[in-house]
Amino acid sequence: MSTRERTEMSPRERTELSPKERTELSVKSIFARVATYPLSGVIAALALIFVCSAFASPYFLTPFNMTIVARDLAFVGLITLGQSMLMVLGELDLSLGTIGGLSGVIGGILMVENGVEAWLAFGICLLFGALCGLANGLLVTTLRLHSLVLTIGMAGVYRGANLVITKGVAITGIPSTISVLGQGTVFNNIPMPFLIMVPLLVLISFCMMKTPFGRYMYAIGNNSPAARMLGVKVDRVRVAVFTFAGLLASLAGMLMVARLGTAQPAIGDSWVLPPIAAAVIGGVATTGGMGGPVGAILGAAIIGIIENIIVLFGISPYWQSVVSGVVVVLAISFDSVSRRAFVTEE
Amino acid sequence: MAFLEVRKITRRFPGVTALKDVNMTVDLGRIHTIAGENGAGKSTLVKILFGELRPTEGDIFINGADALKDPTLFNYISYVPQEIRLFQNMTVAENVFIPFRKSGISRFLIDHSRLNAAAQEFVDQLGINVQPSRLVRSISIADQQLVQIARALSNRRCKALILDEPTTSLTSREIDRLFKVIRQLKSESRAIIFISHKMSELFALGDDVTVLRNGALIGHRPLQGLSERDLIRMMTGEEVKIDQIFLPETPATRPILEVEGLSGRGFSDVSFTLRQGEILGFAGLVGAGRSELMQTIFGYLKSTRGRISVNGRFWELGDPTYSTDNGLFYLSEERRRHGLLPLLSVRDNIGISLFDQTARAGVISATKENKVVNDTIEKFEIKTPSMHRLISFLSGGNQQKVIIGRALACHPKILIFDEPTKGIDVKTRIEIHKIMKNLAEGGVGIILVSSDLSELRRCASRIITMCGGRITGEFTTVDTDARTLVEAIFGSRGDRDVD
Repeated sequence: MSTRERTEMSPRERTELSPKERTELSVKSIFARVATYPLSGVIAALALIFVCSAFASPYFLTPFNMTIVARDLAFVGLITLGQSMLMVLGELDLSLGTIGGLSGVIGGILMVENGVEAWLAFGICLLFGALCGLANGLLVTTLRLHSLVLTIGMAGVYRGANLVITKGVAITGIPSTISVLGQGTVFNNIPMPFLIMVPLLVLISFCMMKTPFGRYMYAIGNNSPAARMLGVKVDRVRVAVFTFAGLLASLAGMLMVARLGTAQPAIGDSWVLPPIAAAVIGGVATTGGMGGPVGAILGAAIIGIIENIIVLFGISPYWQSVVSGVVVVLAISFDSVSRRAFVTEE
Repeated sequence: MAFLEVRKITRRFPGVTALKDVNMTVDLGRIHTIAGENGAGKSTLVKILFGELRPTEGDIFINGADALKDPTLFNYISYVPQEIRLFQNMTVAENVFIPFRKSGISRFLIDHSRLNAAAQEFVDQLGINVQPSRLVRSISIADQQLVQIARALSNRRCKALILDEPTTSLTSREIDRLFKVIRQLKSESRAIIFISHKMSELFALGDDVTVLRNGALIGHRPLQGLSERDLIRMMTGEEVKIDQIFLPETPATRPILEVEGLSGRGFSDVSFTLRQGEILGFAGLVGAGRSELMQTIFGYLKSTRGRISVNGRFWELGDPTYSTDNGLFYLSEERRRHGLLPLLSVRDNIGISLFDQTARAGVISATKENKVVNDTIEKFEIKTPSMHRLISFLSGGNQQKVIIGRALACHPKILIFDEPTKGIDVKTRIEIHKIMKNLAEGGVGIILVSSDLSELRRCASRIITMCGGRITGEFTTVDTDARTLVEAIFGSRGDRDVD
């Protein structure tokens, strides 16, 4: 992921150098360049944690364990993609996890109780997730609500609807036709969900850097009155991103159903805060206008590896959230400190 | 011995030396002015003077003691920023005295009646016509500016007061009031450091002037005996004629924009016609409704009644995208709030408006974008080490050029400039006037909103005056003297302040 991001960035960097400057490129300036490159911190942290984990546990690098890490990363990653796009806009959606969960159980009911063909049910659920996101977006833009507050409320609605439908009981008997999406692996043990998430990441970061729509997202996150003055259809962009984030959330939910073989009402419960933490670790500003999905996914990978190593060490599950919480705080502080050291305010 | 002295101050930022070997002394009981173009280093020097920034090299002495070794000495110096930095949801009195412990009001519990009484003293002294118990967000910008000064003065140890362009959002009446206060502070043997781009204010108020250019000290001398021309030459390093006329020389042709009975928030029943190739001036006091009118024409604010047509055809109101798509652009007075994308580079700030030129099949071409952006940077002589520099690191004048250049790269048909030279130095101001003239002569219809009558008289062939949200007159510049205009600006209510 990191190499892909770098090659995409390189034309931009190259134009910064005149021929003369290029010859004068000393070790020091390469260091400064690396230090000020926005993703250096998170890449270094990820590499460090990866190496430490590999030394700490003999099971970490086994193909079996790597498959688990990659698969778990895919689910949280899909939510992280949507959340980081919203955060670039200066918005947050705390209901993404519950949209995933609700989509999952609706898909389960359609397939098991109503006998809807599995792939069709899958598609309907994606549409349903997009509609939930659309509802969030329209409420935020038309009623001028703060997205954080609104989506806390909407999360209650979606979670409640989930329990009303399922009465808290898992729906079993999901047709095996779609289980390949969740359980299957391709090539050398690369899990399917991961193979779905990575192209989406590439596509989204391409759109955010290379298309007018993506650049409008950054403009809005920077200064939404100014974006409106420039003629950007601010509300339309907002609604579109909320809708897309909802779609990604339902995709994550359905993949999870496919993986488990049952539609659990609790799907999505753990997808609320880690994606936000991941995005922040990856350099996405909570105030908007900065960072991108690549950094956010790297952040999610950091969190994922830490959770994995905790399991491998057999640490009590009660301590897991304490440890991962501490690591998140450390990562964010490290990032903030290093940024202050290299970027001088004028 | 001077009260404040800086010796050989140098301040570097990554890639830029903002100040180089600057010396300056400030005495009590005098008004020191700092003059220089945008980007000359005034802001950096001021930030060093009150201790917000540390110099890379050099010394600062306050009362003869080294302030870099003992930062508490900076408590003698108070700073009043140009933009409003007040707690909007707290009262005037609270804003004056916060932090309460330092101002000796209270350590734990706040006695609000005592607080308000103490604040009343400062409010009276500065002639602020509001109750100290009012919330700051409910008072006018001009009063907020004065509250900022009251807050600086509430620091009892304050011996020197730095005022950074304090007059940009004040009316002439309020400026007079402020000057009276400043002179009184001077007579109480405090030192005033005053920064302004307006020559008339520097000469009316100042005793001494320190001139900076490109981060270097050009001179430090008494203003008495110095002519305006000399001062401008010191600032710019060249001969600049400040009273040039920029009236378009080609005649205005057919009407391009017709506004009929337009009403909205802050103005009502406005009708006028803008012709192709003319610069139409809008004069009025702060709060006369000019910006609201222009933002409504642009579609940023909603109209309640009336309609506009462009080239005789129906025009959709209330949609800025429609306006920009059809060649109507508005450049706001509030650059920071309405113009800049602060976390993005110069390139991204300019490129954001140009995707119809740089994107094909929905994908932006980096080569094309870099070329268009480079053209704009060269054409408007925007000073930046690279197009990838963050826009926030540019000086105010260069930021304004980015904003103007961005709009011009879209080939506008109608362009509304709202106070385009507010806080802009003499030379850049003239460049902006030239740009407007060239555009008008090229057939663009231009509206110029300005509070500077002399600017309007030098650039606009027709001037419309507004007062209290209504049009009070329309004048042909060559046939009208300044007094007639001033009377129209103050409306039928004589010389009462309508702000």
